[in-house]
Amino acid sequence: MLATILTKTFLDRWKGMAIGAVVLGAMLLFGMATYRDIDLSLYTDLPEALRAIMNIPAEADVGSLAYGAIYSSYGALTLAGLALSMGSASIAGEERDGTLGLLLGNPKSRTAVLASKAATMVLLTAVGALVLWGAGLLVPAVLGVDITGTHVGALVFHMFAVAVFFGALSMAVGAWTGKSGMASGISVAVLVLSFFAVGLLPLFSGLENGAKAFPWYYYDASQPVLNGVDWGHVGVLLVGIGALLALAVVGVNRRDLRERTLGVTMVDRLRAAPLTKKLVDRLAGSARVSRIAMKTASEYQGLLIVTAYVMFLMMGVLIGIMYQFLDDTLATFAENFPEALLALVGGGDMSTPEGWFQVETYGLMAPIGVMVVTIAIGAKALAGEEARRTMGLLLANPLPRSKVVLEKTVTMVVYAVVVGVATFAGVALGSLLGGLGLDIGNVAATSLLVTLLGLVFGAFALVLSAATGRVRVALFGAIGAAIALHLFNAFLPLNDSVAGLARLSPFYYYLSSDPLMNGMAWGHTTVLAGLFVALLVAAVMFFDRRDLRQN
Amino acid sequence: MTEQLAIHTERLTKHYGDVEALVDLDLDIPLGEIFGYLGPNGAGKTTTIRTLLDEIRPTSGRATILGMDTHEQSVEIRRHIGYLPGDLALYPNLTGRDTLTYFANLRGGVDWAYVEQLAERLDADLTKKVGDLSSGNRQKIGLIQAFMNRPQVLIMDEPSAGLDPLVQREFQSMLREVAAEGSTVFLSSHTLSEVQRVAHRVGIIRNGKLIAVESVASLRAKAIRTVNLFFDQPVDGSVFEGLPGVRDVAVENQHVMLSFDGRMETLLKAITDGYSLVDITTQEADLEEIFLTYYRGEQVTA
Repeated sequence: MLATILTKTFLDRWKGMAIGAVVLGAMLLFGMATYRDIDLSLYTDLPEALRAIMNIPAEADVGSLAYGAIYSSYGALTLAGLALSMGSASIAGEERDGTLGLLLGNPKSRTAVLASKAATMVLLTAVGALVLWGAGLLVPAVLGVDITGTHVGALVFHMFAVAVFFGALSMAVGAWTGKSGMASGISVAVLVLSFFAVGLLPLFSGLENGAKAFPWYYYDASQPVLNGVDWGHVGVLLVGIGALLALAVVGVNRRDLRERTLGVTMVDRLRAAPLTKKLVDRLAGSARVSRIAMKTASEYQGLLIVTAYVMFLMMGVLIGIMYQFLDDTLATFAENFPEALLALVGGGDMSTPEGWFQVETYGLMAPIGVMVVTIAIGAKALAGEEARRTMGLLLANPLPRSKVVLEKTVTMVVYAVVVGVATFAGVALGSLLGGLGLDIGNVAATSLLVTLLGLVFGAFALVLSAATGRVRVALFGAIGAAIALHLFNAFLPLNDSVAGLARLSPFYYYLSSDPLMNGMAWGHTTVLAGLFVALLVAAVMFFDRRDLRQN
Repeated sequence: MTEQLAIHTERLTKHYGDVEALVDLDLDIPLGEIFGYLGPNGAGKTTTIRTLLDEIRPTSGRATILGMDTHEQSVEIRRHIGYLPGDLALYPNLTGRDTLTYFANLRGGVDWAYVEQLAERLDADLTKKVGDLSSGNRQKIGLIQAFMNRPQVLIMDEPSAGLDPLVQREFQSMLREVAAEGSTVFLSSHTLSEVQRVAHRVGIIRNGKLIAVESVASLRAKAIRTVNLFFDQPVDGSVFEGLPGVRDVAVENQHVMLSFDGRMETLLKAITDGYSLVDITTQEADLEEIFLTYYRGEQVTA
């Protein structure tokens, strides 16, 4: 049975794994090539306190810098994401699809099925880790970079252990609840939370030890790329994995399998209660089916609320308040901050309030926040309805196809604006509460630019969705393009001879004008808006010309 | 005169790569007719319907509905049609009522009293979420959705899937009613018995090619049946020899089993003349058998 499940899971997953491996390998190549060509004394001359925070070792060389910048965060998150999605799909996912009953119709116990699923998750994560290891050895060989003293294998092994931990976590939640959405939701939340906790907690004196409560600490803190495998830390992860899998076995055996039913939401309860029925029906019932844009909006309102909340409170208000608590020494050392490393998170001078917000909020998190919403809607808008086979019915109504594309776009634009406004409001309030004194107009300008940037990539996802009708192509295509073009924009300017090429990346038109300092760059705004409209027109044309898919 | 036709196709052809899903389909379906579109799975029924709906575009040839081109004027056409896709999928998180409201809003001009009336006739539960309904109950929502705008042309792909016999009967009388009021129904199915209860004419498609269009009456006459006859005393098999349409006679004391295609009247007259018939059962041959018997020669190997 293990072989059967392994084969099926592998066939389901190999494309995603291959795309992830190629993207990460390309990123490593790109990063290492850049570091090879710049003066590394920038990094090694940094004060020790700062190097520790930035994860830069004293004897930093090209290899460890590149692995640190690319593999230790992006790579580990990708691998953990892969394991996590396999974990949530394993039991709960099959229950959602109504196939678990079929699987258990075979003469195999639930424990046996779970064990096979767990073994599959571990093996395929190991395959992913091996591919990363291979790429990690191949790239420096190709570039002729000396990586003596760098423990790629140890780094990848730590990555593998933490990835399996999150896979086991999502498997355990799925086994207990039978809800795959909850399984991946909780695991992703723990993953993101622990990633940030391990990064941010050591910045505060007195809270350094708090990081030890998070699994990511046992992956990252021992700096395996420099120091080799830390068996103590890996041991902690292994014990955690064992405990979670044991928990999963107990969970899956003790409960009734779920029928293929839908959960009862708060809105459903309110609609059923006589007192609130009328009001809720008007707000949530008839309103959400009044037009396509509203229906689409209702499908993504959960995502929007979470994203807007994170951008407003955590990335806005909290970052503003945090500034004044930061160690003074950090602020002075920050003047020496290496531009090359900061380029990855959007650049900026951390000693100024503007630079602080640029690094912490606008550089990476704000684009991600807007894109989470726009790419999700763009990728699923058309292809999602085709995959669920509702598009035929929708288009049986007297609407031109362009109308469907435009209605979905309305939702995307409104939601992107909501995230943009939440970011603006959060940063403005954070700046006020923290006494940072940012120019409100400049904050608004930067928030507008990030909204437009997110819409460009959302529209790109929409184009792929319209042209192919395949959610995965649209989703991974847009995410891949965003990562590649972000790196393009981050690394090319470091080398004067190719700096001009950065203009080919939409990211260039977002922060290169330094809008937090200088205010609105209307030319750049126009470029982003124009790009969005052009992509939208392309999406309408592609969708209009194509046969609908029949899944 | 295509203006008087509900559905008209001219050499309608659809290829998927090398696969010929539909080849040179010529169909004329007048107003007020219930047209049954029969064929085994994968014959091209759904391809035809998806082309009529402009979900996919013909490789060559063209089609019109109510005189309008299915591609150029597809939006206008869709004001006048009701559609039930095969293997129906709806939005699982919406209730039946939400679903119907959504499509009514997109369409405009739907009489909600009529929707309620349809729901009552089909005994549909509009308060539950569609995802929590059984497939038959979900199908009812799809049927209401197709009927609710009082379409001039109803296009339905395997509409009876999952419906229990009582609801099927109600559905069939709904079809007869709308046809009597002048609407046209295009009904695809792979079971003859379902179609012949309501359809006026039947088209048979196989491997993407339309191989016959017949009135239901003549198809019924062609249909081979297995007839079981029970008499009150043993009979002589020779009685059945030479009767038109009778084949494969097997006699076992009072029980006779034979294959028959022809008018039942002739058979009954011949056997009741001299013998006392106690019981008779007839079993319809399935579509596949009819194909094999009648259309073997006409099928072109694809």
